[in-house]
Amino acid sequence: MTPAEPRPVRKILIVGGGTAGWIAAGVLASRYPRRGEDGISVTLVESTQQPPIGVGEGTWPTIRATLKQIGVTETDFLRECDASFKQGSQFVKWADASDADTYWHPFTLPADYADRNLAPYWLEGPRQPGFAPSLCFQTELCSHALAPKQITTPEFAGLANYAYHLDAGKFGPFLQKHCVGKLGVTHVYDEIVQVQSDDRGHISHLVTKSGNLLAADLFIDCSGFSALLIGKHFGVPFLSQKDVLFIDKAWAVQIPYRDAAAAIASATISTAQSSGWVWDIGLTTRRGVGYVFSSNYVSDDNALEELKTYLAARGDLSPELTFRNIGINSGYRQEFWVGNCVAVGLSAGFLEPLEASAIVMIELSAKSIANLLPGCRGDMQHAARIFNDTFRYRWERIVDFLKLHYVLSRRTDSSFWIDNRGSASIPDSLREGLQFWQHHCPWHEDFQHREEVFSAASYQYVLYGMGFRTETAPWLLSDSDRNRAREAMSETARHARALGASLPGNRDLLARIRRYGLQKI
Amino acid sequence: MVNLVALNNQTHRNVRIATMRSSVEYAAVNAVSVIPREFQRLVAHYPIFYTKSTETGQFEPAALLGFARHENLFLMDGRWDAAYVPLQIQRQPFSLIPRPGDVAQGKRPALDVALDLSSPHVQTQEGERLFLDDGQPSKFLQTITSMLSALVSGSTEAYTFTGRLAEFDLIEPVRIDIEFVDGSDTKLQGLYWIAAAALKALPAAQLAELRDREFLEWMYFQMASLAHVSALVARKNRLLSGVTAVRPGEDRK
Repeated sequence: MTPAEPRPVRKILIVGGGTAGWIAAGVLASRYPRRGEDGISVTLVESTQQPPIGVGEGTWPTIRATLKQIGVTETDFLRECDASFKQGSQFVKWADASDADTYWHPFTLPADYADRNLAPYWLEGPRQPGFAPSLCFQTELCSHALAPKQITTPEFAGLANYAYHLDAGKFGPFLQKHCVGKLGVTHVYDEIVQVQSDDRGHISHLVTKSGNLLAADLFIDCSGFSALLIGKHFGVPFLSQKDVLFIDKAWAVQIPYRDAAAAIASATISTAQSSGWVWDIGLTTRRGVGYVFSSNYVSDDNALEELKTYLAARGDLSPELTFRNIGINSGYRQEFWVGNCVAVGLSAGFLEPLEASAIVMIELSAKSIANLLPGCRGDMQHAARIFNDTFRYRWERIVDFLKLHYVLSRRTDSSFWIDNRGSASIPDSLREGLQFWQHHCPWHEDFQHREEVFSAASYQYVLYGMGFRTETAPWLLSDSDRNRAREAMSETARHARALGASLPGNRDLLARIRRYGLQKI
Repeated sequence: MVNLVALNNQTHRNVRIATMRSSVEYAAVNAVSVIPREFQRLVAHYPIFYTKSTETGQFEPAALLGFARHENLFLMDGRWDAAYVPLQIQRQPFSLIPRPGDVAQGKRPALDVALDLSSPHVQTQEGERLFLDDGQPSKFLQTITSMLSALVSGSTEAYTFTGRLAEFDLIEPVRIDIEFVDGSDTKLQGLYWIAAAALKALPAAQLAELRDREFLEWMYFQMASLAHVSALVARKNRLLSGVTAVRPGEDRK
């Protein structure tokens, strides 16, 4: 066994100052707060030429722990990023495009989820009012645009599980201020013009336009789609997923609220269209709306017309709106950590925003890097192997879960929907899962990892929301669980009514927080 | 129904307020919001905690009066059984309301003294007059007015005080489990107090600030007041065991 190279990993250089760069900087610098002689250094270099894309407006509940870890207050975050509370997603017209076609994927787990799988008993009937509303009180809060907490609830705590919708253009600068001001992150504006390697092929330093040499032990590539280090320098292949996920374009637009009292939805609303779907996200200051579509099935012009029809139906179409055309290249890198370089954010991969996976993947990556941070340079390869295995698995699972939404659709109104059910486009892992779930409701053991991006609960919400039917054999069911399910459903209804009556509206609470702030305790 | 009307020396020239009866109809509460400048008097009778305002989430000091909803253990046979009654109770049935004209114009409204006309204290025959014959406010009304303005400035002062304590991480939640003499029990929730350990460890500069702004004094009054929790339990136990407090020289009705 060759002795590990003893040189310590003390200098971290992050390339890129978007959402990924600042989350990575914040997580690493707050986890390892010691600077100077016996500490680590975290430096972030960003180009002034290439403004950050500002990816994603939707987050997962993990974001609360991430923000807490980084050390910002929820009040400052909500105020400065125009953020609102997100309690899940609503899917409209995904199953059969009928008028009644809608279901929820809330963040709060189904009743008894830790101990018992109650899905089979809900399936026995009468299956009203729907899987999520029967076993999760949160759908009631979502359907009335209520907040997940009260003004007296401490920061980052909730009466229902929640995440945020945020203005990605403001989130990076917000984190930057904290990272530089409070966490001792060094911030450099410069262009990277050259990458220098050492004799093992690790990056030794970056040469900048102004002639500086930026040396580090670990380089984190947050350079966005340009993928300066992982793509351009290391040439790690990009695994396109366009054969599975057909979406490759988007039209995006910002919609002002009609009046200052208009409700702010507390879920992302996703409405299926002829060749994709429309997202509708409410921030405190405006809504973000966009149509993600597949250019194989609809032209830019027709897609724009569809989006305008969506807006017109809600009275939101006006001549002042500016529509932005965006390209989406679904896929991820074959490897994320090579030598002493790890990619986080768009440089690592991007998938259509159906389940808001972009920011949660950044958080998970930053957390894993912090947890795996090698003691010395010689241990880099081991950390890289674990990281690559974990994240390849995670990207694959996200692809499966996104595809699930399309595979379960019964829409026949366009070849986009029909082709999405073509067996050649369905990953084997998802096909096997769907086969298994015909006779077995998704449960913990169906998934391998401790920290699954999408747990069995998410699969249950989508499968049964979309009208999938699992036929569980009678000998796998029990009367005691059946009785418990009945109880759980009436408890859920009671809890929904009680919370529905006591929680403020999303807009009301956000205005109060803007004014008074939330307490830490 | 509360029927608040701004006072006017013409319309309310003949209104009198019966002060003999205590403000029982306003007192069916188990806690009352208090201001720091009455801590020194409150400390002789009531436990003071911090609670969160349901409107703003900010901490506000409150005197605990009972353990169940609407239970005020200081109300004995329609009388207030303590030498000092919190200002928030004393000021009833008067309030301050924003002047509607100012609100309409969007400026910071002036506050007018208002009277709850639905209160049984409002009389025309007996009691304290509000206005003298020449239309000037009576001594009684002047006292009420100064009480109301003390509550307004005191409330601002209280939020500044508790806001600073929260910033210094000096407030922590407390849960008190109580078992009464009849075996029933209650858990007091939503109450906060001073985190003793945090206070002990407070940096000198912060401590000096608290001292210079009178905050330290208020904190100690509040902390000392907690001795009355057991006195309050004793009041409840006396009720439960059928012992009725009869003050010397007083006949029960």
